Amino acid sequence: MFSALKLKPIQMMHTGGGGGGNACYTYPDAPATPGLTTADVVFDRSAHMNGSITMDDGRTVRMWGFNTGGGGMGGGGMGGGGGPFPSPAMRVTEGQIVHTRLTAGMMNGTHTIHHHGIEPSTENDGVGHYSFDVNGTYTYQWKASHAGTYFYHCHTNTVLHAEMGMYGALIIDPPEGPGTLYSGGPTYDVEAVWACDEIDSSWHALSWTAGTCGGDVGLNDLNPDYFVITGVDGAQSALTDPGVAVTMNTGQRLLVRYICAGYLPQRIDFGGLTATVHMSDGRPLPNPIQVQSLEASSAERYDCIFQPGSPGIYEVTVEYLDWVSGETLGTARTRITVQ
Amino acid sequence: MKRRTFLQFGAVGAAGTLTGVGGLLSWTPRARAATVSAVYYITDGYVAQPDGLNVYFKGYSGSSSSLAVPGAPLIAQEGDTLQITIVNTLNSDHSFVIDGMVDSSVIGAGQVQTVSFVAGSPGSYLFYDALNAPYNRLAGLHGGIAVMPAGSSNELYPGSPTFVQQSIWVMTEIDPAWNDRVRRGLTPDTTFTPRYFTINGRSMRVPGSADYGNPDIDSGYHPGTRLSGSIGDRTLVRILNAGMATHSVHFHANHVEWLARNGEIRPDIWKKDSLMLPNNRGSLDVIYPFEPPPDAHPAVTTGHYPMHLHDEMTQTAGGGLYQFGIATTIAFE
Repeated sequence: MFSALKLKPIQMMHTGGGGGGNACYTYPDAPATPGLTTADVVFDRSAHMNGSITMDDGRTVRMWGFNTGGGGMGGGGMGGGGGPFPSPAMRVTEGQIVHTRLTAGMMNGTHTIHHHGIEPSTENDGVGHYSFDVNGTYTYQWKASHAGTYFYHCHTNTVLHAEMGMYGALIIDPPEGPGTLYSGGPTYDVEAVWACDEIDSSWHALSWTAGTCGGDVGLNDLNPDYFVITGVDGAQSALTDPGVAVTMNTGQRLLVRYICAGYLPQRIDFGGLTATVHMSDGRPLPNPIQVQSLEASSAERYDCIFQPGSPGIYEVTVEYLDWVSGETLGTARTRITVQ
Repeated sequence: MKRRTFLQFGAVGAAGTLTGVGGLLSWTPRARAATVSAVYYITDGYVAQPDGLNVYFKGYSGSSSSLAVPGAPLIAQEGDTLQITIVNTLNSDHSFVIDGMVDSSVIGAGQVQTVSFVAGSPGSYLFYDALNAPYNRLAGLHGGIAVMPAGSSNELYPGSPTFVQQSIWVMTEIDPAWNDRVRRGLTPDTTFTPRYFTINGRSMRVPGSADYGNPDIDSGYHPGTRLSGSIGDRTLVRILNAGMATHSVHFHANHVEWLARNGEIRPDIWKKDSLMLPNNRGSLDVIYPFEPPPDAHPAVTTGHYPMHLHDEMTQTAGGGLYQFGIATTIAFE
């Protein structure tokens, strides 16, 4: 048989919230976690489907995501309220046993959390059609075995839910803690997480279930009109947003955790600075490489160390490329200011 | 067009002893080069897509009455002489090309042509129709060939990390409007907008859906596509992109060892969970190590996981139907 797990393909009804309508090929469940043990760190997450971000042109785009909390009554976002984009980061230390406790279902439809790049058991991998879509509360249990940069995202009707913003950064520090990329690897003084994503606002009016039962809802054809860095519009705001733009001193070492969080290929150019890439996808490179730009495809991560030798303002550009023609569809910009 | 065959999927195994047995490519190395022969029939027909639409294709098929998209994979070793006979059963010109190895030039309507060439450097290659480019290739005239190092059964190139089994994944995208223009002998006149996404001619099915578990239709169960192994069954996957779009290949449960891109050996072997697959005949060669999933607690040695593309538009069919695209199952037995 396909799996020892009990699979329950059913058609389910949702009302209210972002759910609305029939879903096909979802597998709602919330079983006990196999081998549940005491965790070193616990993250509570619940789905929200009524967040938004305001773009530099003044337009508001509806976003979904995960809130902190949600493990019981009154959890954030349970009733369809708003929440952040991107979702709150998770940060753990190598060797820790982690619980990610997801509450979903009810008003906001079923969801999952897949910790991208983390490689746990099938039940804890968060892929609905290989295990279940969480309807209730499920505790994903996993061990943080390799320091590095990861991200987590919903893996239910993924094409839509990840586009809607249901993702957040996931960082595993080595035992030395923040300031060291991995044991035996480089140290850093300043850190930035750049999750670069493109948004097709026409998809953002769709319902939770869009396309799951068939019918053409356009999910084969992404035509982005906004380009963001870690949830901030890259048209202008990301140039100065303190959560994205970097200010550092000459001689300091900067770590940029670059996450290709969109679907289309990207080209990031570091504005004349040289990056030493030490890791990708949570694994050290046998020999670090030095680059002034990188091309990346969806879900790749690159950990880049910069040590500028002189003051200056360096404009970083992220080009989002058409997957067929390779032409630039849009650009997001931020800055590294070296004092 | 002489025929209109309605087939779910064409017969595989066109090239007889050359092709994979039981799905995975099987290979017994030889001390000496040999002559390896195969016959492909260029045929056409329709293949039903997950939403029920019958889409027109042309293929390098195993007989004059079948349709195979992609063509059955070939495997040979460096220095072998390959003799490939192409029987063009259609009333349009076609060709058989492997970049750097062979170009049949025009094989006219109804013609039979045998090309003879020496298998070049070890690696993974696409064979395809270079005429009416890229439309004939996109309409289905493509397939994969593995060239093994001489005398080796477990390397991608001499001295590479070793494997115990290997597979070819040929991926492509389908814009039915383009295929229909090819059917009518016309040049596509619309922007390429793929609506179906296949791996080895199939797309994914999920529990509860029609054809779930049917190895002829469900890419999660097709033995030439599904990765099955026990701990230590290191599997070379030769990933070929016959399509026009750049993709991102994402493996669950293990990082892969990245050996080559577009046929070029990587200077260092990186361990990756997501990799860019270049478009227009791009390729990746990776080893899926079948190691115990490192982040499982308690530890596990069995389970089922997906490989899927992370440019998630490829996970749809007909503009919706998430999960019915380019994906397969990785089974830790």
